[in-house]
Amino acid sequence: MASPVSAYNSNTLDSQISNTVRDSLKMEFLADVSLLPGEERITDKDLIYICPFSGAVKGKVLITNYRLYFKSSDADLPVTLDVPLGAISRVEKMGGASSRGENSYGLDITCKDMRNLRFALKQEGHSRRDIFEVIFRYAFPLSYSQHLFAYLTQEKFPENGWNVYKPVEEFRRQGLPNNKWRIAFINKNYSLCDTYPTVLAVPYKSKDEDLSRVAAFRSRGRIPVLSWIHRENQAVIVRCSQPLVGMSGKRNKDDERYLDLIREANDTTKKLTIYDARPNVNAVANKATGGGYEGDEYQNAELIFLDIQNIHVMRESLKKLKDIVYPNVEESHWLSSLESTHWLEHIKLVLSGAIQVADKVSNGNSVVVHCSDGWDRTAQLTSLAMLMLDSHYRTLRGFEVLIEKEWISFGHKFSSRIGHGDKNHADQDRSPIFVQFIDCVWQMTKQFPTAFEFNEHLLLTILDHLYSCRFGTFLYNCENARDQHDVRTKTVSLWSLVNSKADLYLNPFYTPDAGQVLYPVASMRHLELWVSYYIRWNPRIRQQQSPVEQRYKELLALRDEYLKKLEQLQLSDSSSSFHLVNSSTSNTTSSTASTPSQQYTQLHTPL
Amino acid sequence: MLTGSKNTFKVRQMLPDVKERMLSQSSANAQSRDVFGLRCLPGECVLQRTVMVRKKLTAREGRGWLSGTLFCTHFRVAFMPQDSPKPDDNADPVLLGEHDVALASIEKVVAVGPNRIKLVTPNSSLKFTPEELVLYCRDMRVMCFLFDRLTPDAQVIEITYTIAKTYQPLKPGSVLSFQNAALGSVEMKQFLSNRRRDAHMNWFESASEWEQELERCGATSWRVSSVNDRFEMSTSLSRFIVVPQKVLDTELKKSFAHFNEGRIPRWCWRHPRGSDLLRMASFQNNIYHEKDDIRNLEMVLFGCQSSLCVVVELGEELPSPADIQLAHCRLRALCLGDISTSVSMPDDKWLSTLESTHWLDYIRSCLRKASEVACLLRSGHLTVALQEVEDRDMSCVVSSLVQVMCDPHCRTQQGFQGLVQKEWVMAGHRFYSRINYHRDSDKEESPVFLLFLDCVWQMWFQFPSRFQLTDDFLLALHDSIHLPLFSTFLANCQRERCKRSQNLGQSYTPVNGWRDVLNPDSSSDPSDPPLPPVWDWALQYSQERRERFTQPVPPPAPLQLLLNGNLNTNPDAHRLADTIPGSVFLLSRGTFTCPANLPPWRSSTSGVYKKSHRRAPSSEGVPGLERLLKAWALTEFPQSIPSTFGPQGPLDPYEPLLPLLMGPCMGLWRECYLRGALHAQAFSHPVSTNSLHPVERLAQEVQQLKDKLAQISTSSSSDSPTVTPEPRQTDTNLNRSTNNSTFLYPASRTQAAGASRAAPPPTSTNHQTSRGPSSTSRPGNRDAAGGNKHSFLFRHSSATDARHNPQYYPPPSNAKLPKSNGASVGF
Repeated sequence: MASPVSAYNSNTLDSQISNTVRDSLKMEFLADVSLLPGEERITDKDLIYICPFSGAVKGKVLITNYRLYFKSSDADLPVTLDVPLGAISRVEKMGGASSRGENSYGLDITCKDMRNLRFALKQEGHSRRDIFEVIFRYAFPLSYSQHLFAYLTQEKFPENGWNVYKPVEEFRRQGLPNNKWRIAFINKNYSLCDTYPTVLAVPYKSKDEDLSRVAAFRSRGRIPVLSWIHRENQAVIVRCSQPLVGMSGKRNKDDERYLDLIREANDTTKKLTIYDARPNVNAVANKATGGGYEGDEYQNAELIFLDIQNIHVMRESLKKLKDIVYPNVEESHWLSSLESTHWLEHIKLVLSGAIQVADKVSNGNSVVVHCSDGWDRTAQLTSLAMLMLDSHYRTLRGFEVLIEKEWISFGHKFSSRIGHGDKNHADQDRSPIFVQFIDCVWQMTKQFPTAFEFNEHLLLTILDHLYSCRFGTFLYNCENARDQHDVRTKTVSLWSLVNSKADLYLNPFYTPDAGQVLYPVASMRHLELWVSYYIRWNPRIRQQQSPVEQRYKELLALRDEYLKKLEQLQLSDSSSSFHLVNSSTSNTTSSTASTPSQQYTQLHTPL
Repeated sequence: MLTGSKNTFKVRQMLPDVKERMLSQSSANAQSRDVFGLRCLPGECVLQRTVMVRKKLTAREGRGWLSGTLFCTHFRVAFMPQDSPKPDDNADPVLLGEHDVALASIEKVVAVGPNRIKLVTPNSSLKFTPEELVLYCRDMRVMCFLFDRLTPDAQVIEITYTIAKTYQPLKPGSVLSFQNAALGSVEMKQFLSNRRRDAHMNWFESASEWEQELERCGATSWRVSSVNDRFEMSTSLSRFIVVPQKVLDTELKKSFAHFNEGRIPRWCWRHPRGSDLLRMASFQNNIYHEKDDIRNLEMVLFGCQSSLCVVVELGEELPSPADIQLAHCRLRALCLGDISTSVSMPDDKWLSTLESTHWLDYIRSCLRKASEVACLLRSGHLTVALQEVEDRDMSCVVSSLVQVMCDPHCRTQQGFQGLVQKEWVMAGHRFYSRINYHRDSDKEESPVFLLFLDCVWQMWFQFPSRFQLTDDFLLALHDSIHLPLFSTFLANCQRERCKRSQNLGQSYTPVNGWRDVLNPDSSSDPSDPPLPPVWDWALQYSQERRERFTQPVPPPAPLQLLLNGNLNTNPDAHRLADTIPGSVFLLSRGTFTCPANLPPWRSSTSGVYKKSHRRAPSSEGVPGLERLLKAWALTEFPQSIPSTFGPQGPLDPYEPLLPLLMGPCMGLWRECYLRGALHAQAFSHPVSTNSLHPVERLAQEVQQLKDKLAQISTSSSSDSPTVTPEPRQTDTNLNRSTNNSTFLYPASRTQAAGASRAAPPPTSTNHQTSRGPSSTSRPGNRDAAGGNKHSFLFRHSSATDARHNPQYYPPPSNAKLPKSNGASVGF
């Protein structure tokens, strides 16, 4: 099975596959787990899975170079686990030779995707040490100087996801270059800024030398560059890192002039609004390490702090959230426990920051967004604001472009934040910033159920493969590193998978609209916990599905059933009911015409 | 002059408006119309009018502002959008338009000035010209009107005053004057008295209606007793009660004294697997149990099951009415904020404050109790008797929730309305005191019914596809509670309702009703207006709104066919079989016990029992029963996606819907409670009103396929089980010739209709007539409805025709469906 969330496969083709998988498993235990091309069996072992929901389950575990697969041997208690090794954050031995009590000797595996797995083993031989080492070695290949699975996979897809995002094409879609903005290739060799992409859009009037001088005054050389331009009012979203003001309050004329050039590029911007994503105190504290924020010397600019906390606070918040939902959902005081994690409050701050950005821009004001380094909170804010402003990003392809552009190409440090293949689970650089972004997107899809072409399944798939290391999409920290490791040539893009089976990820209720700005409500009253992600391992939660979608799926199933019956009837009795066949085909064509959705037409073809 | 003759408002208020009234009533037409396009009810007077007002639209309405004219009549505050279509003078009167609010629903009037906010009371004086007028309503709506700079100041101030002076029905008698304002005119009275009640829901008013229910449930060993016909046995019980067949009325009479208020165990519902649900008040203590009494009491309590009775004590784990009232007040305050100062709960404390209202806790405990009962019923031949001290609050909640969980019929609009009639209205829930219309019984006030509606909403939220009714229906019912116009809610029990209608001379006489024996002389006292039941939705809501009460295509329901017999697939019967016959267990806090004094006549003090009866039950049956509840805990858990039809075929429709009760699964009914919180309103996508349309579209397609399948199978194999009536072919031909999608629904639904009991044989002519009004009332076709010019007073025949078919589901409106032209011509 390709995706670990098989519960979501509604499509008939897919369920057939899963049926065959199940059948074959019955025939020969674990021998026939459908592996990915390039996936290899490493070892298998009998052990006991301590399931937090149904208790200890005897079964067999299979370790490949991609996944940990467990299946219970007891047919009455069908438990299967299918965990990509990339999702493993930490493996620990629990219990020692002296430990007593049933199932107290074994392994404790912490996963990045909100679950823990515990296995109990017999205290004989070196069985535990062996399996521990295998898991450790294959879950953290980089710590052993091995290749990530993305480099080993032989998967082939009809679509090539690496072609989804072409920077120049995307700029052209936005109407760039124009007489105010130019495309600069100064970073062709990553010489200006090693964490930026090669293609940048900068004010037409700025010269390449200016850019270099500005780079000297911006943290890690991440100069202000254009992310998005409003087609009508020409207001822009510009992103960058903090200015290197420092304790002494240094100034940089070039930087000041450069920001003014950005302001001038739009006629209606009287004052350039600079959004500093951090809380005010954090920005001040950053002066101690040479950073800081734009002061009064920046004329024609106003600075607004958005009070979004740093990566460490977010990490701790999600950890608290995990504590109250896994394995057991906090029962007695659910809402106040949820409140005390502050997770939704952080979501709210990120969303409301993005709303402010989007609002400014749609009113014709250019804005600059930065945080400290401009790769975490800044990416969240710019990409969410763009999602609100530009309906193109609300399509499936557009959303892929948005992630490729604002997150991947602009150097969100996926490798550090996720820790792909790295055993240092306590690394302070890890943080669920991208998860938080996807959560914000989910909140938006909840509030605007018809505005997005993609569905929840896409968001879940993205988050699953954020960790899985099956695709190259989220590997490494920046384009520079990706180029060095030949990601585009040696690995497969996640979008290859998605676009090859796009109908799985489409929202049936999508109604395209022209250029509407979406402002979600960023209030605790209307934000919800993303239960189907954070609590999805709880078997009680699974049936919680989008009400309308559930109905839709039932209807789809019913229709397929009827279609099948009709076909059978018509085949068996084609001569006598000839006129009816005629009428039915006319019906099909007419309803196909009335439903432009691709899905419809596809599902009609059996007739 | 056709003014409301019984108007009780002071002349002082009326004087400035005489001219206006002249204007609005000048037309010779009985239907008065204001010159600015407000369609008044007969006798309704416009007290004040303000032009160039903008109304803030809620998320549901698509947000933004709508400009138009604001009116205050002596019945409502009305708002007419500028370019609203010209009202049809011949249509039946609808009490409230889409943007209107009845004066009685208004709780507070707040004027917002340039830099101040003032709560406007009847006595307060305004020292500034309001820029904005905010009406906080009892049903948790908040209406916000913005005045334009060009709006004349005098008009702004006047309308604010007028609304503030007229809205509050605080004093005794003000409810009556409100009723008069709405329904008091001669035309309204006549109109109301000519309305027919919905014959397709069960009103439980007559013996035959109860018998219908017995038949529907297959409860053959029960009978309807009229022993309480004159309310002599129990004043709060309904006229007819259902008791075991084998108990005679003379025997029955003796048992009333043993229960609080004479509310003896009565049958409510029978599970298809053979269990019965009963409800009763607490046992009367200190009463001597005669030997004969005991025999009868046992028979009444055990109903038709000889072996096992579980008494479910509702007092302990469920909130008291006072708890509910407190929680609801807190919830209100939280959701609406502090009304006078517009201060609202800080957002970062929202979740914990919401938790501390305990509203969701109470909902959870009700749902949990009902789930337990549903599981007991599902699994054995036993009697479950809900017991509450008064048997008029939480037993209404639990018994009806159990039926919503177990009986698909109760998840349809008609079935649900019948359920409310049965378990609330007839069972004597004290609506009148609990809602506290007169503000004179504050201690009694408690929104028990609203708690119940929220429980149902939770179920709907978790299993929307298993409901034919929608949250829109629940919301409409929620809002109607606050309108003191409906006989349904304006009494505490059937006796009070009967009294009133006797005094009134029963002017709201249902044509097919059973009350016509009461008082045929309708001239006794015409002063009080006749009160309609809440179920007469056409009186309150437009056709478009009512169409949203049910799903465009309901879940497929082969239900009625199954319910006539007793399913006997009882997996747990053998486990319970070893129970000693005559055991009574008490279910409390999730465990079963058999206390010695349950029922009290078995206790040692009463003495008589032990000598003459079987030995006292041991607790041998307990493990079996506990297994049933454990089974629930387990089924709650691996239950897969509840699909009505998977590859395995349809689910057992009587498998109870057991809602998940974990914290993250309980939702807040935002569409109801948060629609007032304007500052925090979710801006649903402007097209969200048609967000359902892909489903509708698909549903149409499925329906077509189903029809076609039926056609083919009838034509190819005559012995097909899904028999479709022969006239279908002609039927569809008819459809093709007329406006395409209009007839799709009724036509495709003949199959379901044929299966249901009351439906007429689906001949094509019949369909033609029944569909006429439905198609003409659809918005897209309104103008084309030229042939339908009845006088509004006498158009009821067509209105009822539209409801002719109990399985009738209105077609989705054209407005919702983009370009559905080709979709339906496939026949």
